[in-house]
Amino acid sequence: MSSLKNNKIFVIIVIAVVVVAAVLAIYYQPLAPQRLIIATTTSTVDTGLLDYLRPCFDIKFNANMTWLYLGTGQALEVASRGDADVLLVHDRVREDAFVSSGNGTLRTTVMYNDFVIIGPPSDTANARGTNATEAMIRIAQAGASGSATFVSRGDGSGTNALEERLWERTGVTANGTWYVSAGSGMAPTIRVANEKGGYAISDRGSFYKLISTMNASLSLVIICENDSSLLNPYGIILLNSTKYPNIKPDLATDFLLFMVSTQGQSLIDNYTVNGKQLFFPVYGHPETIGLPSENATVTYLNSLLKSRGLE
Amino acid sequence: MGGFEIIVEGFTRALQILFSGDQEILGITLLSLRVSLTATLLGAAFGIPLGFWVARKDFHGKSVVTAVINTLMGLPPVVVGLVVYLFLSSSGPLGFLRLLYTPEAMIIAQMILTFPIICGITISSILSLSPKLKDTLASLSAPHLWEARVLLNESKLGLITAIIAAFGAAISEVGAIMMVGGNLLGYTRALTTAIMLYTNMGEFATAIALGIILLLIAFSVNLFLTYLQMRSRVRRTT
Repeated sequence: MSSLKNNKIFVIIVIAVVVVAAVLAIYYQPLAPQRLIIATTTSTVDTGLLDYLRPCFDIKFNANMTWLYLGTGQALEVASRGDADVLLVHDRVREDAFVSSGNGTLRTTVMYNDFVIIGPPSDTANARGTNATEAMIRIAQAGASGSATFVSRGDGSGTNALEERLWERTGVTANGTWYVSAGSGMAPTIRVANEKGGYAISDRGSFYKLISTMNASLSLVIICENDSSLLNPYGIILLNSTKYPNIKPDLATDFLLFMVSTQGQSLIDNYTVNGKQLFFPVYGHPETIGLPSENATVTYLNSLLKSRGLE
Repeated sequence: MGGFEIIVEGFTRALQILFSGDQEILGITLLSLRVSLTATLLGAAFGIPLGFWVARKDFHGKSVVTAVINTLMGLPPVVVGLVVYLFLSSSGPLGFLRLLYTPEAMIIAQMILTFPIICGITISSILSLSPKLKDTLASLSAPHLWEARVLLNESKLGLITAIIAAFGAAISEVGAIMMVGGNLLGYTRALTTAIMLYTNMGEFATAIALGIILLLIAFSVNLFLTYLQMRSRVRRTT
């Protein structure tokens, strides 16, 4: 009789332990790493750069790096509403305006690549072998006579802004049936140009990456490159945490320091797609690519790097 | 690579993903299911009672209300996404809730899409019940709750259709959850937003594979709902 009773107690204890363990297992949440939200341009995502950097950053700072895939215009807009923690974008004019309006506290150039004018292998506008401005003029002329098409991002992105600066320089008003506004990201725009056998401006990284995924079905080739007006520097902007109390300023600073640290810069330097380097680190010496020097910011960031042992 | 080869490669990739149990894709799939099923259930919890009330009650402007609900059935997801984004944004009126870029925000946005669909179909299926049934119920002077039970039971076919249509709209939309979820990897990336991203990156085969998974899920959920529908029809005819 008593052994039966003991058995019963034993069963009850076992059930109780199992129930408690199950409840704990369901409700136990391991200390989740903090999520960093980067508002960035399509090119850093399309090229796979952020996917490549994420594991290193996540491990080093026990963080969870995520990003919003936007054009520079939309990224700046979203950040100015306090909906992202940090910016990684490429439109110097609007970046500076963003910081000087008090939305951002610090901006620094971290890397660069360049834009290329791409077009059909037959080069119907005969724009090959000229500089960027001349190439754009020839595309517009060929467009007006019906032998070329130009596909614009048309989405207020950094690439779109560069394109508009180039048109301004040529003095051509770009409109007409030859001028198509795609209203989408870099890769979709290249694909539209590809279907139409037209011209487009792309950052080199996005174009190379798309060649590697689309192989032979992408027939466009580089028509114009290596022109100083096609330089494409990327900047990181820290947001004003007094204005946006909901953001994570510490994690954002970690990200900036990671990107400008020796480790971050060499990771960027080593990133290749199909054996081609897509981004070139340039933190600390933007004057080597013809940009204004950022001495004050660099000195400040270097001292932060040193005090955090991240050099 | 031609279009046909990419689709074939997509199918093989889909099978590989399904059998390899890829953690990332599994997470994306579960999130899609969680968001769309919750949004459909919440939409039904509000849509069916309101639809019932509108259909049974005689009031001024009933046809206007019904027309409004029917119009909202065609709400463009991206507009819903934009409006919900502006409300939930840090500088929006509901920014203090800190819901932007969370699965909960995605559920809210999709609920706004599923609610009118369920409500509208509920109204039309109750209105289409035989007037004889209503007369009978009236002559019995049945209590309200009992009357509601009978009417809802009689329109079960229509209600299940409403839920199928709402779930279909939710699981397949991309505009709303892209805006309010942000497509954050491992957190708010759903099947449709992932398909869009892979398409943008030119990885068509993976995009097709995810599309096939999406269809499979929609098919299994609908299979279950259709089974319920068939069963209720069999019961009514016997």
